[in-house]
Amino acid sequence: MEVNEFINKNLIEMNLKSEDKDSVIKEMIEIMAENEIITDKKEVIKKAMEREEKGTTGVGKGVAIPHVKSDAVKKPAVAFGRSDVGIDYGSMDEKPSRLFFLITVPEESHDEHLKLLAQLSRNLVHDDFRDNLLTAKNAEEVMNILENI
Amino acid sequence: MKKIVAVTSCPTGIAHTYMASESLEEAAKKMDVQMKVETQGSVGVENELSEQDIKEADAVVIAADTNVSHERFGGKPIVEVAVADAIDDAESLINQALEKAEKGETTEVKANLQSQVSDEKSKRKSKRSGPYKHLMTGVSFMLPFVVAGGLSIALSFVFGINAAEQEGTLAAALMQIGGDSAFALMVPILAGYIAFSIADRPGIAPGMIGGMLASSIGAGFLGGIIAGFLAGYITQWLKEHINLPENLQGLMPVLVLPFLSSLIIGLLMIYIIGPPVEGIMNGLESWLQGMTDANAVFLGLILGAMMAFDMGGPVNKAAYTFSVGLLGSEIYGPMAAVMAAGMTPPLGLALATVLFKNRFTRQEIEAGKPAWFMGISFITEGAIPFAAADPIRVIPSIMTGSAITGALSMLFGVGLKAPHGGIFVLPIPNVVTNLGFYAIAIIVGTIVTTSMLRLLKPKLAE
Repeated sequence: MEVNEFINKNLIEMNLKSEDKDSVIKEMIEIMAENEIITDKKEVIKKAMEREEKGTTGVGKGVAIPHVKSDAVKKPAVAFGRSDVGIDYGSMDEKPSRLFFLITVPEESHDEHLKLLAQLSRNLVHDDFRDNLLTAKNAEEVMNILENI
Repeated sequence: MKKIVAVTSCPTGIAHTYMASESLEEAAKKMDVQMKVETQGSVGVENELSEQDIKEADAVVIAADTNVSHERFGGKPIVEVAVADAIDDAESLINQALEKAEKGETTEVKANLQSQVSDEKSKRKSKRSGPYKHLMTGVSFMLPFVVAGGLSIALSFVFGINAAEQEGTLAAALMQIGGDSAFALMVPILAGYIAFSIADRPGIAPGMIGGMLASSIGAGFLGGIIAGFLAGYITQWLKEHINLPENLQGLMPVLVLPFLSSLIIGLLMIYIIGPPVEGIMNGLESWLQGMTDANAVFLGLILGAMMAFDMGGPVNKAAYTFSVGLLGSEIYGPMAAVMAAGMTPPLGLALATVLFKNRFTRQEIEAGKPAWFMGISFITEGAIPFAAADPIRVIPSIMTGSAITGALSMLFGVGLKAPHGGIFVLPIPNVVTNLGFYAIAIIVGTIVTTSMLRLLKPKLAE
């Protein structure tokens, strides 16, 4: 299992257009839909919102990781988006979020997928990892950073 | 060096759990504090805290948006926060925890007996893994079918033992509910849920199909157990070893897995399990034919033991068919022996659940009540849930009791002209000869069965 099995350049958006929480979630889910990762956009949006209601996935330090576990997801995947202006995501530290990872997994997933996603999540708390993502110039650089976790 | 243990958990268990864990570990490294974090995520519990870890720890941090059990941390300083707090500022959490430890502030954990008991239970449940757990899952799903079926059949006998043969009567309907439906589902459900326990949802179809085949080839519940385990492990293996190209992956759960697993288990049951089962049955039947003139008491002993061995499987059927066949030749002794021997297994088990409660699970104790009725109605199936859950101890016990009952019935020269019906045929004139002795044979067998269970079954650890 490699990182590039659940993320590729098409799933990376270096310049998110949204300016608020709801629209950024929809914008990222749209990327998943375009890449045929999910079968039912509405269902995935609903699940993502439900998860946010249980507690924000804006984890602070400018990072948000909305995630969805649903049968409407074909395979485990990650979409990455970056916002230059920063979006108010209702984060713990009340600072705007700039790095977004939308994680989607099917209801029944292999442990190895989940473990890799866990590994990605662990990296997000490291300052240099985030700094690298913030300064990456294009999707290829982002892929390079992710492949080296 | 101070030591802190932590638990992290979040609702989906994909991201926060691990971010919090990493944050805590990172912060601890910086602060020169020893840290062990247990993650309760979608992969299950990882890096589990041992009793030793908890004992050595100066303080506990629980960063969770889900319900994390506190019991095991009783007497330790605990800092409990939302999972996001740990990601956001792990350092201050560790400071808080150390502060509490310094002041000697311990958190009162409501260690009331009930929560302790349920904690112990869940611990034991998780330990009961492997084949035993799978078997128990199958048995617990099968149990309601046995009870519903057995009692429906018993009720139909109330209208007269042959009442069910009249089409359109309530007795016939009851027989249709109990015998043709509930009992027909019994073995498939047992096998299906054994397979489910092993391989999750994909196990159900091959398991039930395998169980159905076990029934139709006459392999009984023992065949069903084999079918369930085969189906479960085969499905699990297929799940792990078939790698389809990505664009075909959607076919895996809806087409490939159910078809392939059912095909394999089906062919195995029909061609590998089927012939020996048929062979055993035919072989035993002709063996019994040769014994017609043998010592009557010995024949009763053998027939009795056979009745209890697999309850509906080939050995049981051979004994039953042999005895029913003899009714045509006006030989009534073996039939009496067989029916008595078919009544003692559920009766002996029912008595044991009353007398020796600490040797049975709560579920089994409950199942003991309907077992009385099934026993007196000659519905041997009432013993299957007990036998399936613990075959190595239960089957020898019920076989001993049934063998003695069969032998006694023959010794007393009891004859029976009806092939079924249990206690309901006894009041009918001329059906049973030597009624009083017959009752003694059944009671003795029941007591022997119960005593054997007392001897063989260990006390359940509390």
